Amino acid sequence: MRAPSLPTTNLLRGWSMWQTQHQAAAVSSWKKLKARPLATFLTWLLVALSLGLPASLLLTLNNLSAVTAHFERPPQFSLLLTEATDLKGATQLKQTLEGWPGVASVELIPRDEALTQFSALTGLDALLDSLSRNPLPHTLLVAPRNAASDAESALLVQRLEGIEDVARVVLDTLWITRLEEGLRVASRWVLALGAMMLLATVLALGNTLRLTVIAREEEILVVRLIGGSMAYAWRPFLYTGLWYGLGGGVLGAMILWLFCGWLVGPVNALFVLYESQQRLQWPGMHYPLALLGVAVFLSWSTSWLACERHLRHLERH
Amino acid sequence: MIEFDRVSRRYGDQYALRNLNLAIDQGEMAFLTGHSGAGKSTVLKLLLLLDRPSGGEIRVNGDRITGLGGGAVARYRRRFGAVFQDHRLLFDRSVHDNVALPLEIAGFSPRDITRRVRAALDKVGLLGSERADPASLSGGEQQRVGIARAVVARPEFLIADEPTGNLDPQLSSEIMSLFEAFNQVGVTVLIATHDMPLICRLRHRIITLSSGSVVAGDAT
Repeated sequence: MRAPSLPTTNLLRGWSMWQTQHQAAAVSSWKKLKARPLATFLTWLLVALSLGLPASLLLTLNNLSAVTAHFERPPQFSLLLTEATDLKGATQLKQTLEGWPGVASVELIPRDEALTQFSALTGLDALLDSLSRNPLPHTLLVAPRNAASDAESALLVQRLEGIEDVARVVLDTLWITRLEEGLRVASRWVLALGAMMLLATVLALGNTLRLTVIAREEEILVVRLIGGSMAYAWRPFLYTGLWYGLGGGVLGAMILWLFCGWLVGPVNALFVLYESQQRLQWPGMHYPLALLGVAVFLSWSTSWLACERHLRHLERH
Repeated sequence: MIEFDRVSRRYGDQYALRNLNLAIDQGEMAFLTGHSGAGKSTVLKLLLLLDRPSGGEIRVNGDRITGLGGGAVARYRRRFGAVFQDHRLLFDRSVHDNVALPLEIAGFSPRDITRRVRAALDKVGLLGSERADPASLSGGEQQRVGIARAVVARPEFLIADEPTGNLDPQLSSEIMSLFEAFNQVGVTVLIATHDMPLICRLRHRIITLSSGSVVAGDAT
């Protein structure tokens, strides 16, 4: 009678066999890549560049978004009053507006104060001194209530424009809104470009891996002939894909760091000139890790596809 | 025990095998012969599941193999050692690594692999060429590497397709002696060959095929 086999022993043996085979496939495919360093490096560069370019664009975009997020932007209207309105009229209008339900606060900037601020900001003292009279009107800064929706704001603007003493209503945040819309367009553009680059990577890698499979057709046939499973025959190619992805991902992350290193000086100098506290955001850990992840996933699944298409075909003949 | 039960293989309207009946006993050594196109290679291909019959049934130790698919095919093939006229060695790796391939597939540990590969190479007289590039070996030596690869995992069956096809009579005789040695330790051996002068000197069953049917030597 046969002794009953212990399932744990079988499991352990299966596990160690699986490990040995994977290790062997990983090492042998790595050695094959190492034997052709230039071709391997070029494939890494292909993966690195086609992922690094969209990643750098995305990083740039994130930097810009961070800048706009830092702008103080309580939605605020500047009411430029007519020439004819004097300080008394302006103060009266301020009090009236403060009573409006949609208005949170109103600040009056008298024309003289405005001129002082303007000359201090621009340094055009000499020019302004030469003017015979102050060209600036009195200004009211109107802050609507916080939760005001776009429609409510629009209605408020309409009502403000209707006031006799008001020459013009200027929405101070319009340019930020425009910039944000611009950034949204740019981010879509980056995503579309990124998708195209990814597709191009898959096609180029797919072709490289297909040629690898063709070059090793005899080996695959012999392996199948002496009882290697499909998984066994596929494994070296899947590992080749994995190495391409890992190498390309690491190289891509390095390119991203170089890109930032190259930009950091001028960009931060620009921030300083604009008196911003903002500094260039480095890729940190999550950018390189995401890039590596995408590279590995792409290369591995591309090699899987190449195997699926070519080895199945081989199997039928 | 290998049994072919009214097996046919048709390519278009040409029959490679027609209602072939054949039985090889456990531990037997037999030769499959006939002129080219008689169906020798087709029998071996069907046996290795490299091709499927158009009709009939093939049984190995009583189990129908014609229905096997997927992973079962790979496991089934590991019960066979196969030797080919063109050796089918891989020239991108050493003699040792060629012979080690079936053991790697079967999941042996690296230490066991080295030990068994050396034993197999010793049996075929090539222990000194372990690290050699197979391309640097002579035709007879390459064939012996092929045999070492076929027997290294101790298969139940050893099959060979024209193993002496490119060798001179002296080398051919040595190769056949090797097959006989493996048969003596219990391996069932089936060899397709048309080297009649050689096999007539050996006392084993000779199965003759003609136009896809057995015309002589079928014991059953």
